[in-house]
Amino acid sequence: MSTFLQLLFSSLETGSVYALAALGIIIIFRTSRMTNFAQGSIGMFNAFIATFFLLKTGAPTIVALLVGMLSAFMTGILVDVGIMRHGKNISPISRQMITFGLIMLFLGIAPMIFGSSPMSFPRFIKQGSVEIIGASVTYNAILNISVGIALMLALFYFLQKTKWGLAVRVTASNEETAQLMGVPTKTVTMGAWAVAASLGALSALMLAPAISVNVSMMDNVQINALIACVLGGFQTFYGPVLGAYVIGLTKNMLSYYVSSTWGGALLYVLFLIFIIFKPNGLIGKKRIKKV
Amino acid sequence: MKKTYTKYILIGLAFIIAPFLQQLGVISSSSIIVLGTVMFYSIVSIGLNVLLGYSGLISLGTAGFMGMGAYISAYLTQDLGLPFILSLIISVTIPLFIGLIIGLISLRIEGYYLAIATLGVAEIFRQVFVELDFFTGGFSGKNAGYPDLGVFTLDKMWTYILIAVCLIAIMIITHNIVYSRSGRALLTMRGSEPAAQAMGINLLKYRLMAFGIATLYAALGGVLYVHFIRFAYPSGWNVNLSLQILAVIVIGGMRTITGPVLGAIVVFGVPELILKQLPIIGNVDGLAYIFTGILIIVVILFYPNGLIYIGNDIKKLFKRRHHEKETVSDH
Amino acid sequence: MKKKPCLTINDLTISFGGIKAVDHLNFHILESEIYGLIGPNGAGKTTVFNCITQFYKPNTGSVMFASRNNDLLNLVTMKTHQIISHGLVRTFQNVELIHELSILDNLLVGAHVDFTSTVLQHAFRTKKAREEERLLLERGKDILKFLGLDDKMHDLIGGQPYGILKKVELGRTLMSHPKLIILDEPAAGLNDTETLDLARLLKEIRSNYNCTILLVEHDMRLVMDVCDRICAISFGKKIGEGTPLEIQSNKDVQEAYLGKVDDEDETSTDIR
Repeated sequence: MSTFLQLLFSSLETGSVYALAALGIIIIFRTSRMTNFAQGSIGMFNAFIATFFLLKTGAPTIVALLVGMLSAFMTGILVDVGIMRHGKNISPISRQMITFGLIMLFLGIAPMIFGSSPMSFPRFIKQGSVEIIGASVTYNAILNISVGIALMLALFYFLQKTKWGLAVRVTASNEETAQLMGVPTKTVTMGAWAVAASLGALSALMLAPAISVNVSMMDNVQINALIACVLGGFQTFYGPVLGAYVIGLTKNMLSYYVSSTWGGALLYVLFLIFIIFKPNGLIGKKRIKKV
Repeated sequence: MKKTYTKYILIGLAFIIAPFLQQLGVISSSSIIVLGTVMFYSIVSIGLNVLLGYSGLISLGTAGFMGMGAYISAYLTQDLGLPFILSLIISVTIPLFIGLIIGLISLRIEGYYLAIATLGVAEIFRQVFVELDFFTGGFSGKNAGYPDLGVFTLDKMWTYILIAVCLIAIMIITHNIVYSRSGRALLTMRGSEPAAQAMGINLLKYRLMAFGIATLYAALGGVLYVHFIRFAYPSGWNVNLSLQILAVIVIGGMRTITGPVLGAIVVFGVPELILKQLPIIGNVDGLAYIFTGILIIVVILFYPNGLIYIGNDIKKLFKRRHHEKETVSDH
Repeated sequence: MKKKPCLTINDLTISFGGIKAVDHLNFHILESEIYGLIGPNGAGKTTVFNCITQFYKPNTGSVMFASRNNDLLNLVTMKTHQIISHGLVRTFQNVELIHELSILDNLLVGAHVDFTSTVLQHAFRTKKAREEERLLLERGKDILKFLGLDDKMHDLIGGQPYGILKKVELGRTLMSHPKLIILDEPAAGLNDTETLDLARLLKEIRSNYNCTILLVEHDMRLVMDVCDRICAISFGKKIGEGTPLEIQSNKDVQEAYLGKVDDEDETSTDIR
């Protein structure tokens, strides 16, 4: 029982990392109508910035985190204003391919500025753990899980209950109509990219203590975040978040109970089988094509 | 028709001259290796072009299929001692079957969902390459030799020439396919599924065809890779490589036969042959990725048909200048 | 001599989420007829269309089609892409042509089903493949000549004026020598001159290519001009069937289009 609970807590932590990245992807998808494959790469790049800042100034870890999220915020704005905005009239497939270009760009810039060796980023709470019903959970893990959930709840509240949140949902539903209604869609899209990038950076820095900061640190997270969006469906904001936790849990269960080396691959096999039977995800709705 | 074949043969010959230039000391030995890789990546890219450019289907698992072809052929020739031709046939057939299965799956899922699903497939391949180490050599990689054609074994130069011959053949065959009834069916499937169905085009059959061709070419590229470079390691067959191949057709030009060749030269040739030789920035890590990344973005935004059309546009510019000159002198 | 039925719709019904889009519809089309399906907006015309061509599967009913060798086939049992091989071709309201292909190539797709060369034969340009391509090109060029478009044959579809697109799509249906052509609002977006031209073209096609034509249409002048018989539907139900004259004086049809007319009203109640 206690091993199961242990797994549960570590799944919640992994799930939070995936959920933050997935949330970033779905925010951009619903406002710009394109899939951001570069979510992980942007997070990785800004994780490097945060780690570099930490090394140079010796500031507390939380401050480095905020620096990372802030630089991510600006990276997001730069990407939207400098690149994506010029591609307003091109097909969704082409816009998606621009994000492939972004992946390569960051894959090249990161080692150019920061070198190729991995750097280490410490946990937010360095030591200490607590016993919960027989499972040993670190304070850091609790922090990560709580921050993740709190942030997501805050975002959902923002979306549902505030004026700007309404602006986001309207832009997500139909950008042209939103513009006609006087919604500042350009600001909304820019904000979406900024927030998504920050979430990606947070996700990367939560992950960093476990696997070190390196160019491929977010590769796994990127794929799992995308799968979370497919599972949860691209039609809602909360779907991918749920999907992320499901994936975190499934992955940990498979790795522990079935095979630690094949756990990850098995997850993808299950995902493929699932997608064949339910092409629209757990929650997604089917669209009937009009001929 | 025959005129276009000449174009392809000339491109192949241009590549074939290289080893002779090397013997004369005009270009270095390492350049031959780079040109060889440009050629087999061209083959793989032409395959992806049939899938994405002509049929409108996306796959991010191309590198995985290359790897499969490479490992199977390495195993068959090194561990089982099979002759090259036989190994080649087997090494492209097995990945072909898996590619057809993905084609089946693609009927159920579309667009970005398909892209994400192929990502999952690529990850499964990657794990298999690492874990099945009796077959793939695991992290330490797998060796192979130059092609053994039974009567004699090729050396580096003749393997290079073999790759060039394969490239010419692939260009001609693909040209034939895309300008035939099959090619029109693929383009119709891409352009309008309702129209395709109304015209009797069986979507399943043509999706299988598209995935089949792409997988076949990718596996062939992998076989040529492993018998030219004579080494394969698992982390090389990752999503980044798949993205680079995608970059090749986007930058070079989709829906043309020579576009991917141009794109391969730009993505795989220029960084090694030109960028790395540049003073100061030549030694910077990640330069190739930055170069390719910026190019993809610039081409998509400002030159969506690909760089292959630059030739046409330059011609048009000259025609216009000439025309303007005439009208001015009329006064 | 009594004409044989070409297409018979029996008791066709389809619902979308509880709403009956087509409600127990019956009508039949005779060979060599030009037949019109009319109705106000939202009547269900396009839905009927899609049920006939198997883009939708009806909940009940049958679509009996007399094939080339006079077998009676129920189209409902078939897959969408199998329909054309039996001799029934459709056009689309949205003009589904391929922008990256030329006018000629778009036409050639129309005869895709009539040939059997495999992709391997195409890859190596075997004798059979070359011969089939030659036959295809001949057919395509003939139709281009008939439509008066042969000077544009290698132009890409992308960028062509709307009238030409409509003509090309019409030409595409002729490529497979069909028995029945079904046209989805062929006059949509055409001006008066182009509509008159279309009327002439349709009559020529009926006689030159010896086929039956079903039109789903809004443009009343075209319908009354070319159709031998018409079926009028409203809210998915048949409200009238007959010759143009009969339909024009049918009270239910008038009501469906114009609303209930007071006896004291002086306005003309003919539908033109």
